[in-house]
Amino acid sequence: MATEETDHEDGVQSIDPDDVDTEDILGSAIERREDPALVSGEAEYTDDIQKPEMTHMAMVRSQYAHAEIEEVDTSAAEEMDGVVAVYTADDLDVPGNLPVGWLLDSLEQVNHPILAGDRVRYQGDAVAIVVAEERYQAHDAADAVDVEYERLDAVAHPGEALDDDAPVIHEEAGSNQAFDWEIGDQEATKQAFEEAETTVSLDLHNQLLIPNAIEPRATVADYHPRTDELELDMTSQNPHVHRLLMSGVIDHPEHKLSIRAPEVGGGFGSKIHHYADEALTALAAKDLERPVKWTATRTETYITDAQGRGHETTGEMALDEDGNITGLRVHTKANMGAYLSTFAPSIPTYLYATLLSGQYEIPTIYCTVEGAFTNVPPVDAYRGAGRPEASYVVERLVRQAAREVDMDPAEFRRQNFVPGDAFPYETPVAMEYDSGDYEKTLDRAKEMLDYEEFRERQEQAREDGRYLGVGLSAYIEACGIAPSELVGELGAQAGLWESSVVRFQPSGTVTVYVGTSGHGQGHDTTYAQIVADKLGVEYDDIEVEEGDTDEIPQGMGTYGSRSAAVGGGAIVESAEKVIEKGRKIAAHQLEADPEDVEFENGGYQVAGAPDRSMTIQDVAGASYLAHDIPDDMEPGLEATSFFDPENFVFPFGMHAAIVEVDPDTGEIEFEEYVAVDDVGNQINPKIVEGQIHGGIAQGIGQALYESAEYDDNAQLTTGSMQDYAVPKPSHIPEIKTASTVTESPHNPLGVKGVGEAGTIAAPQAVVNAVVDALEPFGVEDIEMPLTNERVWRAIHENGGGD
Amino acid sequence: MEFNGTATIEDASTEEVWLALSDPYMIKEALPGCAFIVEIEGDEEIEEAAERAPEEDPETLPEAEPEEIAERAFVEGSRYAARMQISVGSVKPKFDTMVTIDDREFPEMNASAEGESSNSSFEMSSGMELVETENDVDVEWWAEADVFGRVAQMGQRVINPVAKRVVGRFFDEIEAQLQEVSEESSGGLRSRISGLF
Repeated sequence: MATEETDHEDGVQSIDPDDVDTEDILGSAIERREDPALVSGEAEYTDDIQKPEMTHMAMVRSQYAHAEIEEVDTSAAEEMDGVVAVYTADDLDVPGNLPVGWLLDSLEQVNHPILAGDRVRYQGDAVAIVVAEERYQAHDAADAVDVEYERLDAVAHPGEALDDDAPVIHEEAGSNQAFDWEIGDQEATKQAFEEAETTVSLDLHNQLLIPNAIEPRATVADYHPRTDELELDMTSQNPHVHRLLMSGVIDHPEHKLSIRAPEVGGGFGSKIHHYADEALTALAAKDLERPVKWTATRTETYITDAQGRGHETTGEMALDEDGNITGLRVHTKANMGAYLSTFAPSIPTYLYATLLSGQYEIPTIYCTVEGAFTNVPPVDAYRGAGRPEASYVVERLVRQAAREVDMDPAEFRRQNFVPGDAFPYETPVAMEYDSGDYEKTLDRAKEMLDYEEFRERQEQAREDGRYLGVGLSAYIEACGIAPSELVGELGAQAGLWESSVVRFQPSGTVTVYVGTSGHGQGHDTTYAQIVADKLGVEYDDIEVEEGDTDEIPQGMGTYGSRSAAVGGGAIVESAEKVIEKGRKIAAHQLEADPEDVEFENGGYQVAGAPDRSMTIQDVAGASYLAHDIPDDMEPGLEATSFFDPENFVFPFGMHAAIVEVDPDTGEIEFEEYVAVDDVGNQINPKIVEGQIHGGIAQGIGQALYESAEYDDNAQLTTGSMQDYAVPKPSHIPEIKTASTVTESPHNPLGVKGVGEAGTIAAPQAVVNAVVDALEPFGVEDIEMPLTNERVWRAIHENGGGD
Repeated sequence: MEFNGTATIEDASTEEVWLALSDPYMIKEALPGCAFIVEIEGDEEIEEAAERAPEEDPETLPEAEPEEIAERAFVEGSRYAARMQISVGSVKPKFDTMVTIDDREFPEMNASAEGESSNSSFEMSSGMELVETENDVDVEWWAEADVFGRVAQMGQRVINPVAKRVVGRFFDEIEAQLQEVSEESSGGLRSRISGLF
């Protein structure tokens, strides 16, 4: 498969869509059509919604990470001004148990009630809800609910939680082990290590992160008793999934429940899951027969939004005498938090260990993962979801192995890459990589870094007492999450196809309905580009609708970098069906055989007779007039598709950072950050670049700044942006991007997905760079986030610095 | 969370500082945001003890009689109810607090405390020792606190300065009161205090 290269070292320039011809629109870096509403404040977010008679809900959350609830006294709260109702677990008469949507053989399925009745298991656990006329009244009254607790010992870290003497969080599970899972060949891997010339081992900690979507979670629920219809506007990445799950949780029929995601301000995974809060808002609205609004405070998002990562891992790599990787063995203890969140079991298992082969040909791999219940918020998907953790393990071990066998890390990688002619490539951990050309991204990155020159400069600088380092990160990810049969075999309780409708209006404009649910990605723009290209209809004549269960047939939502690959695929299929129906109508009207009618640039034409032609818009008009269409044909021009691809897609690339470390202060300064990504065909290079930039910013956040820290009582001590450092623009270096393009064979657009690449690639590029810089001090590893203090200590423990 | 420090009370004797820091009313006066400190009788709840808090506090040093203070001084093994409002960042929780005097022998005292508010709580053990220097007294103090709920979420970065401010104001106030004692020393107050020990 051909791999093309493009270069945007100086950044991609945006283009006005009016300056692009329809036939060139796919692949053009046109400006995003959603931005004017977003930057002018016209866009409507959930909290902007006002309804007559609307009430406000506030939550009473546990102050302890682990405690028995002895008594809940709501009497004072109920008497307060404006309070409409107060509910505790005793007041609920619905199943109220949040389901887990991914099963593993050894999974302990524990109860996850929407209101805690007997015991609270993390700080965000809700004990009661208060509904009042005004938001402040609800919050004041929530403070007046008197809860008596018997505090229990708590545990925040998976390693400690799995100790025999740890406090047991779910008594019905007997221990804190949520699951014990393995993949790969234990025996063969053991043998590889016995026969190895060299082995390396690292204990790696992938810290818990808080997602920090800019818009907190929110819900407005409105119930119509006469029709039994319950309408929710909510911050969702997947309204149809939320509808299905919630209909069970609150015992309301799915067809009487509608969920709409208005404008949603980011999610990074945190708005996939079914939380208690949204269901409670719905229940309150239903019970009170008045609209109810709940908006999380920023403080609440810190203790309730599902957190990400949280791995404690021992990784070992076996090597032969020539520096070839002969085996990989990994044991991970994964933090699941207090309960199993919606897709939580899949993240540290199938979305993690299946990527442990990285870009390398590794003959045998064996990985075990123990999931641990702890007293932190439930842990689930966060941008990258399992794949950053895998890439971190692989690329940190590769760096260490290269050092051990005394090879340059770039050449060590090249030697061990899956060769370009080996695709499709089956790994020892159940993945079949669709396509790839890893040397190309390595070469491009080396060129952009001026790698050889850098190594000389590094040598020189060390002589002057300055410490420069380069870190490489050769990443691979599996995304475009699908296909249904495969994920079903792996334990998913849902199919992961996507659906779309492409509908012509009689006047020739087009509306596209698709089951993904964008929340900042620019889907309106990219999907319209796809349809404009396929149908040859002007970009401005195409409208895109997402995120509404009433409008869109079905959908699985937006996560796992799946929208372009799976949603885009569904759109292409519908567009093709429309073209085919249109071809029959055109043939009928042009009095030709459909096989002789060609479709190009929005026009049907009888082959060899250019004057016998009509536009697809004319065909659309004719289809609705239905005065003159084939006898056996239904009127109208629209088509529905459910697209279920054959495989995941596998974007890959090489990220590299050059840093300078000040050994006296532990400060890290970026000299360069280079990202060469292969995300397949690009629908809009400007949007691709934005995704890469944003992902890298979050990846650098993990490497250097961010960490959800808990004290011995599992109390979050980084509970606000004062203590949890989300990187600011000044923390992020200038990023040089380039791309290679290797088409994915598994979807009609040849796209691979780009939403998570940056967060997957960046952390180990930075850590490897710092470790490379500090090689003269014998520093082999520093735990993320690489704070100045940790870097300084690592240097000083090895006798360096002042 | 651990806190510790040394507060120097200038121009005072160990006995004077000990007496001052043994007086529930002096502590109440000096502690910012403290509404009352009342000894708990039997099994009663904090609210019940609170009802016995005097409308107007009796006199403390230097006005009070040293013997009277010694009479109401903290007793080892006793429990006290206190209500304290502290402003931490954007929240101003009111803590209903139970203080237990774990041990108390001149010049050392250890106490533990548990406080609860609607959305936060704390558990603390603490202690202090008085060390006489040339003209002054050093109060070496320490506290280990577990903080829960909304206040804990503020993080150490917010809590530390609050703790420092409260402790700082407390000892400043004690020092100010004791300086008045030394000014009144002509009246024999100083010798009466040291005579108590």
